[in-house]
Amino acid sequence: MEVKKDILWRVYLCFLGMMAFGLFILSRVFIIQDIQGKYWKSMADSLHTRYVTIEAGRGNIYSDNGSMLCTSIPFFNIRMDMGEDGLREKDGRVFLDQVDSLSDCLAAMFMDKSAGQYKKELMGAWNRGDRYFLVKREIPFAEFQKLKEFPLFRLGPDQGGLIAEPVEKRINPFRLLANRTIGLWRENAQNVGLEATYNKDLSGVTGRRLMRRIAGGTFIPVDGYQIDPENGKDIVTNLDVNIQDIAENALYQMVSSNEAQHGTCIVMEVKTGKIRAIANLGRQPDGSYAEDYNYGVGVSAEPGSVFKLALMISLLQDKLVSLQDTVYIANGSWKFGKRTMYDAESHNHGMVTIKQAFEMSSNVGMSKLAYRYYDRDPYKYLHHIHLLRLDTLTGVDLAGEAWPVVKSPKSRTWSATSLPWMSVGYEVQVTPLQILTLYNAVANGGTMMRPYLVSAVTSYGKPVQEFEPRVLIPRICSDTVLAELRGLLEGVVKDPVGTANKVFTGAPYQAAGKTGTALVANGSHGYGEKIYQATFVGYFPADDPVYSCIVVIKNKPHAAKYYGASVAAPVFRQVADRLYALGMQQAPVQGNFRMDSALESKSGSLSREELVLNRLGIPYSAPAFPAPWTNPSPSPTRVVLGPKATPAGMVPNVAGMGLKDALQLLEQDGLEVEVAGTGKVIAQSIPPGDPIAKGSHIRINLD
Amino acid sequence: MNRKNTTLARGIDWPVVYLFIALTLVGVLSIFAVEHREGESVINTLFHFSKTYAQQVKWLGICAILAIIILQVDSKLFTATANLLYVAGIGLLLLVLVAGKDIKGSHSWLVIGGFQFQPAELCKLFTDLALAKYLSGLETNFRRLKSQIIAIAIALIPAFITIFQNETGLALVYFCFFIPMYREGLPGEVLVVAFSLVILVISALLVNKDLLFIILSAIALLVLYLSRRGMARRRVRIILVVLIWGFCSSFVMFAVPFAFKHVLRPYQVTRINVMLGKEINPQAGYNVMQSKIAIGSGGFLGKGYLKGTQTRFDFVPEQSTDFIFCTIGEEFGFFGSLVLLGIYIALLMRIILIAERQRSVFTRVYAYGVASIIFFHMAINIGMEVGLAPVIGIPLPLISYGGSSLMTFTALTFILLRLDADRQMVLR
Repeated sequence: MEVKKDILWRVYLCFLGMMAFGLFILSRVFIIQDIQGKYWKSMADSLHTRYVTIEAGRGNIYSDNGSMLCTSIPFFNIRMDMGEDGLREKDGRVFLDQVDSLSDCLAAMFMDKSAGQYKKELMGAWNRGDRYFLVKREIPFAEFQKLKEFPLFRLGPDQGGLIAEPVEKRINPFRLLANRTIGLWRENAQNVGLEATYNKDLSGVTGRRLMRRIAGGTFIPVDGYQIDPENGKDIVTNLDVNIQDIAENALYQMVSSNEAQHGTCIVMEVKTGKIRAIANLGRQPDGSYAEDYNYGVGVSAEPGSVFKLALMISLLQDKLVSLQDTVYIANGSWKFGKRTMYDAESHNHGMVTIKQAFEMSSNVGMSKLAYRYYDRDPYKYLHHIHLLRLDTLTGVDLAGEAWPVVKSPKSRTWSATSLPWMSVGYEVQVTPLQILTLYNAVANGGTMMRPYLVSAVTSYGKPVQEFEPRVLIPRICSDTVLAELRGLLEGVVKDPVGTANKVFTGAPYQAAGKTGTALVANGSHGYGEKIYQATFVGYFPADDPVYSCIVVIKNKPHAAKYYGASVAAPVFRQVADRLYALGMQQAPVQGNFRMDSALESKSGSLSREELVLNRLGIPYSAPAFPAPWTNPSPSPTRVVLGPKATPAGMVPNVAGMGLKDALQLLEQDGLEVEVAGTGKVIAQSIPPGDPIAKGSHIRINLD
Repeated sequence: MNRKNTTLARGIDWPVVYLFIALTLVGVLSIFAVEHREGESVINTLFHFSKTYAQQVKWLGICAILAIIILQVDSKLFTATANLLYVAGIGLLLLVLVAGKDIKGSHSWLVIGGFQFQPAELCKLFTDLALAKYLSGLETNFRRLKSQIIAIAIALIPAFITIFQNETGLALVYFCFFIPMYREGLPGEVLVVAFSLVILVISALLVNKDLLFIILSAIALLVLYLSRRGMARRRVRIILVVLIWGFCSSFVMFAVPFAFKHVLRPYQVTRINVMLGKEINPQAGYNVMQSKIAIGSGGFLGKGYLKGTQTRFDFVPEQSTDFIFCTIGEEFGFFGSLVLLGIYIALLMRIILIAERQRSVFTRVYAYGVASIIFFHMAINIGMEVGLAPVIGIPLPLISYGGSSLMTFTALTFILLRLDADRQMVLR
């Protein structure tokens, strides 16, 4: 039957069609799962695991006696992903409904903008679809904790669009003190100072952690697949907080009273070359002074008369003159060809001894000697400059040391007058630190030491690398010459003709040094503005030198007081007086030697406290309610970790805490912390429990 | 067996019931695998209906009641109310256009007292009944063109309304009614033409339209050349070839580009292009990519129940509705997919078997409609998840989460079982 056949055929076709399509799908599944299986599996693995970097904590910078000069405190940059699905749901109703309350909360917390302004910015970012909108930079941890509860943000990172990037902020507890030398550490900007020099040690090694995606789209770490970050090592500097303070104060008094453009004061330990203090103050547009540049190391300039020491070493070593020889100084002016050399201070002396010429800092006398003995062969003099390393870097461990500029007859700008002018410290450029290094060598019995700032790199308190004093030149001259040089430098201070003979009147010690007053060319204005750079460099006590020191102050144009003896030398004297009073030889206490009783420990972070106690195997009892901070109290058998209350909005009690923890706690509350002493916090200037006024100063004393 | 003798279960085709239950259980377990998190109290969740698997269990309960009610009803009720229901269904579809609610970009939902459902889902059932009613009518001679046009109209009117609701996927489902019509004698040529059109559309998308025009012209010339003998006598054939050539060419050159530019929405164009491999759009291809990763990482035997990483960790979107097959593919691998497809094919074969043992045309057409709907859903849904079909959001029958869908398939199946129980009767 035709019809029956037709129908059967149709039924089979339906039947087979469905079967065929089923098989088609099945074969496709087979292809995906078995033939391409590996590819899709690897895709799957790459999707639900990923590596995250774990930032290493940056190391601290300590002074010689263990004061913390610089440390890091965690902060957060708050950003928002306006393209987050959670926010865009229901045509953005989620965002639009809550943007007002979020703006209110932000304005109330930060108090920097009105709620209206915040809303305007948020709406702007929303309309742009900004996926990385910066809400607020560098907010402390405590504020971040609160911020997480704000409208929208409380929806969680995958819904509310909150992006929190942890950042470390460097804090210098001693503020201005040696600020420029400690340096700056910034992301995306040039780093300076020790932060730059020792960046590799300080920054540590970032770790990696394998994260696995789990239900709900969150990632958890996979056990055993973690490379722990290696926290940055700490840097122990030679800087002494007390000496630094003395140098900074003395310098500050002078530059501010004399309205100088900038000044620097470096104190070096004679025997070792350790830099004990390095103060740099530059005048700001508003008339205040700040550590804005490392003038002591980073700039080469014409040194002026202090450079005459090199000529004396040269003449005496070459045995060309004796100090008792005479030289005619022609009332302070002498013509070399078309150019006239003047003495800095006018006088009416004629014939003087070489010693007197040096002590009274006669440019005429010194340049005439240089001309007389070296004009035919300037290289003979330049060779001494080279031997004294005045034409090269000192090798100080600070990034950005400036190169000296020393001419030779081969230089294009060399002229007939170059040699006499160079001999008195013009037409040559060196850094203050270089001059100090030379004078320090004279003080150190002729041995030139490399100046250095960092004595050790430590890790968890244990030194991993120690830097010993290094000799640059074992002997810069013979013993006889050295004795003569020291006589000259003492003469500057002692003899009636000496330029600095009145400066040290009544000092209980004998100082030695040299003044310098150099007329400074100021760019296009040339020498016309009468800007003088006043210098005093020397050492004390003269018979057994302990410290050498250089003070360089660049005066304002047409300053009334500009001589090295009247501007720079008094700073030197003040530093020397105070250091002498401190007992000179008193060895700074290294760290905190007082033994803690076995079970005593500082207050601080609970997690770290537990870590330490666990590692040491000391029994302890954890607090009943976990809190971020703890107050440990020793009992005969165990350490009892009591909770330390840190109520929001109130000044926390930091008594008993270490400096780092105390700083973290206080700075996070927006307080400006001033620090004195080392050890544990024993007193704080604002009592705990007072309401916090943002930006107010709190002083903490440690012992 | 005893239960077969109770009034409720008399004449029921138990294999279909078993397969039906098997599929719904697979569904609940799959949704559970997607939603369950370690450490959660399952009892608690079920008690509070706080997760979709608990909701699905609730819906299963409702469906069980629905099934029992349907089995109690007299078969004649369905034949009697078929046309009425169809008209009511069309009314609902039109109502949605006016009073519907947008959910995930489709304007196809009605909300009645906090309860939301898609009339387009339900209308499949009504259309099936109406089609069966029409084809089984004594006055209907399906050999005649007029009847064929009316039948096609019955099937496609709801489809067009559904397109306006932005539910292109559900609209496509109505085309599956060509299968029962074919079974009832719709000329094979119609299917051939329809099939050719599909091929034309796909080739128009894949091949440059000018090149396609040249190919079509070449084929036309080849046909003319091959039938050159007796050309003079067969003028009609020449005209036919030229007509077909003209239609195909203009279809390819103008109709398809026009449809792509003006009829389809941009996202639909992208999805089709992604499916055809013409366009790599990470956004549009994301779902399918994730779905393939999930299925592909399952391997032959799968990762094991509740051990799938891709499906359980929210990589695949629409995990418990449109992309539920991924869960099975990942956790049970090829073997699981084979078993699942086996269950579906067994169910479809059983339904066709039921259809062919009917005395009444009504039940047969209806049964074919049920099989076609299930087949079409399954084929498009799984095809989409393995990258064979464009991404159109239609659920996997009885497995995907969703009350409307589950209830529709329950009603479809159990009305069939009710009708089949009365297979000795001739229903019109």
